Amino acid sequence: MTGPSQPPTPPPPHDPAHRPPPAWHGPPQGPQGPTAPGGPHVPDPGDDGPVPGLAGLPLRLSPRVLLIDPVRMLPSLLLPFVGLLLAGGFSGTSYGFAALGLFGTVIFAVIRWVTFSYQIVHDRLEIKRSLISRSVRTIPLERVRGVDVSTPPMHRLLGLAVLKIDTGASGGEEEGKLDGVTLDEAERLKVVLLRRAHATREQGPRTEEPAGPTAPAEHTVIGVPRRWLLYGPLSGAYLLTPFALVGGAIGLAFQWGNELGFGRDTAWTVGQWLWDRPYLLLVAVLLLVAAMPFVGGLMYAVFNWDFRLKRRDGYLVAERGLINRRSVSLERRRVRGYEIVDGLVERWAGVARAWAIVTGLGDSSTRGQLLPDVPRAVAFQVVADAIGPYQATLRPHPPVARNRRLFRAVFPWLALTAVTGLAALLTGSLFWWVLLVLALILAGLGVPLGLDRYRSLGHGFDGHRLSVRSGSLRRVQAVVERRAVVGWRVRQTWFQRRAGVFTLIAGVGAGKGGYSAYDVSPAQAVDFPVEVTPDWLAPFLEGSNAP
Amino acid sequence: MTSNGPLRDPAHRVSPKAVRLWLLEALIAFVLLIGGSVLAGGWVSGSGWDWVPDWLEGRWWLLPLAVAVLTTPFLVAEPFVRYAVHRWELSGDVVYARSGFLTREWVFVPVSRIQTVDKAQGWMERMLGLATLEIRTASHAGSSTINGLDYVVAAGLAEQLAHRAEALRDDAT
Repeated sequence: MTGPSQPPTPPPPHDPAHRPPPAWHGPPQGPQGPTAPGGPHVPDPGDDGPVPGLAGLPLRLSPRVLLIDPVRMLPSLLLPFVGLLLAGGFSGTSYGFAALGLFGTVIFAVIRWVTFSYQIVHDRLEIKRSLISRSVRTIPLERVRGVDVSTPPMHRLLGLAVLKIDTGASGGEEEGKLDGVTLDEAERLKVVLLRRAHATREQGPRTEEPAGPTAPAEHTVIGVPRRWLLYGPLSGAYLLTPFALVGGAIGLAFQWGNELGFGRDTAWTVGQWLWDRPYLLLVAVLLLVAAMPFVGGLMYAVFNWDFRLKRRDGYLVAERGLINRRSVSLERRRVRGYEIVDGLVERWAGVARAWAIVTGLGDSSTRGQLLPDVPRAVAFQVVADAIGPYQATLRPHPPVARNRRLFRAVFPWLALTAVTGLAALLTGSLFWWVLLVLALILAGLGVPLGLDRYRSLGHGFDGHRLSVRSGSLRRVQAVVERRAVVGWRVRQTWFQRRAGVFTLIAGVGAGKGGYSAYDVSPAQAVDFPVEVTPDWLAPFLEGSNAP
Repeated sequence: MTSNGPLRDPAHRVSPKAVRLWLLEALIAFVLLIGGSVLAGGWVSGSGWDWVPDWLEGRWWLLPLAVAVLTTPFLVAEPFVRYAVHRWELSGDVVYARSGFLTREWVFVPVSRIQTVDKAQGWMERMLGLATLEIRTASHAGSSTINGLDYVVAAGLAEQLAHRAEALRDDAT
C-alpha cells in the first residue's frame, strides 16, 4: 500500500465513471486513461489495472428483455376473456388473479434485470447475480470453448439474442448464459470471447494482441441451397410431429376444457362417439400418417433453414433456423473427427447428414451438427474441407459376422412366431393368428436387414484418420484422428467366442467416448490397433518377451 | 486373447486372494438369490391363483431349488475362471489388462494418455488386503479397471503409473 501518497488527485481506480467505454478494440498498451490525468508519477505499480482493450463497465442485459416475460404471461390473461366469449362466464376474480400475476412477473423481471450484470475483467468473464443470494460466476476466457448464439422468436422480434458460453465442463450448469443481449452486443461478445480464448491459449498469458478493428477472417464452407430442404422428410426427423400436435391438442382440451365452457364430460362424450365409429378414427389416423412427411418436412425446413457452415478464426460456425436463428461455434482445435449418418431411405436417395466429434461438448447431438441432409458427395467434400478427409476404403468384416447379423435380425421374430403359432393352435383365436402373421413378416424383413447390416460393417485407416461404420436403419460412419485415440478395448461375449469374432472399440476422448468395429476377425482385432498405434501393442505381440 | 493370433497373455496374475474375494461375492449373490426365490416361491405357491399349475401348489421349495441348480455351477465356476482370465502387465509404457467371465475384455491404455489413477478398497477387499486399480483416460472405453490386486502391488503400480504419466504427459485427449 505505498501508492496513495497523493490521495485526493487520482480518481479511484475502480470508479466506473472514468473508465473508457467498453472499447474492446482500443489500443492494448499499458495503463493509461483513468490513472493518467491525476497522478503522473504513480505508474500503477502492480495494481492489476484492467487491460483497457477488454475490461469495461459491468454491463446489463438489454432492457428490452423486460418485455419478454410479461408477453409470455399474456395468454394466461387472455384466458378469462376467451371464457367470457365462449360461455359468458366472465369471472372477475380470475381476471384479477391474472392481472396480479402479470404485475408480479413484471416486478420480478425488473428486479432480476437490475441485479444481473456481466463484465469482462482481464482475462475472465464475470457474471454477477444478486437477486436472492449473491453469486458471481467467473469464466476464464481461456476456458471458453465455443459460443452459441440463438434467437428464439420473441427475442427475434425485439432484436435480442441468447448467448451461451460453452466451457467444456461436463453438465449444463457450469455454463454461462446471457439471456437477452442485443444482437450487436451478442456479435461483439462472441468475437471478443472467441478471439481472446484463442489468443490466450495460443500464446500463453501474453495480453498484447495484434488487435484493432480488423474483422475476423470469415469463410463460408457451404451454404445449403434451399431446394435441398426437400430431402428433409427422408431423415425421419420430426416425422411424428402430427401425432405430437394432436396429442398436445387433446391434452390442452382436457386441461382447459372447464375454463372454455365445455366440461370434461363433453370431451369424454366426443371420444366415445369417435370410438363407436371406428372408420372415422381410421380415417383420422390415415390422414395423420399422410400428413407426416409434409408436417415433418415443414418442421425440418423451419429448423434447418439457410444452413451455413463457416470457418472463422479457428472456429467452425454453424448457423441455421428460420424462426429461431441459431449459431453454434465449435473450436476447431477441439474437433477430433466427424460422423456421417444416413438412414435406409437417405441412402436410397443418396443423401447424408454430418456431425462433428468434439471433446467436451455437451448436448452434442444438436450442437455438433455440421450438415443437414445434403448429397453424399457434398457431405464428404464439406467435412473433408472443414475437418479433414478420410482417404481409404473400409475393410469388410469376416463372413461369420454376416451370420451373426442375420441371426440377430431374424431369430427374435422367429421365436415370437413359434410362441404365437403355438398359442394360435391351442386357442384358435384370431388375435394370435394376426400376431403370427406379423411376426412372420418381421422375421422375413429381418433377412434383408441383417444382410444390409453386414454390408455396413467396416473399418479402415488412412494414415491420419481411422474410420468405423455400422448400422442399417441408421448407418453411422465415424472418422476420428489418430491422435484422439486414448486406448483400445477388445470385447468378446460368450457368443462371439463361439463364432471366433471380437468387438474392437477405439477409446476416443471426444464424442461418444468409444467407436466400435463389430465382429472383426481375430487377426483384424490385433492388426487394426497395431496399424493405427504401432508402439502400443508392440510389447504384447507374440515373440516379444515379458519382463 | 488366449487362442488369438500374435497377442500374448499379460504377464502377471492378480493376487490368489482374489479367488476368495470373488467366492465371497458369489456367496452373497447366492444367499440373496435363494432368499428372493424362497419369498417368491412361497408367495406364488400359497396364493391359490388359478393360473398356478397343480404340481406347484403348496411346493414352495421348487422355485428356490430350480434357481440353486441353475446358478450354482456359474457361481462356483466364476471365481476360478476369473482368476485364470484376469491378468495385467505394464510394458513399454502401456498398461495391458485382461478381465471378464462370460464376456472377456482386453484393454490397452498408454501411460501418456492416463488422466487419473485411483486405487479403491471395498470392505471385503480391505478384509483380504486387496485393492482395485482404476486407470482413467478421457474416454470410458479407453479406461481400465484392474480388480483383485494385492494392496501392496496396487499401491506400487499406482505410484509408478502416476510418476510415468507425469513424465510423459501428453496433451491430446
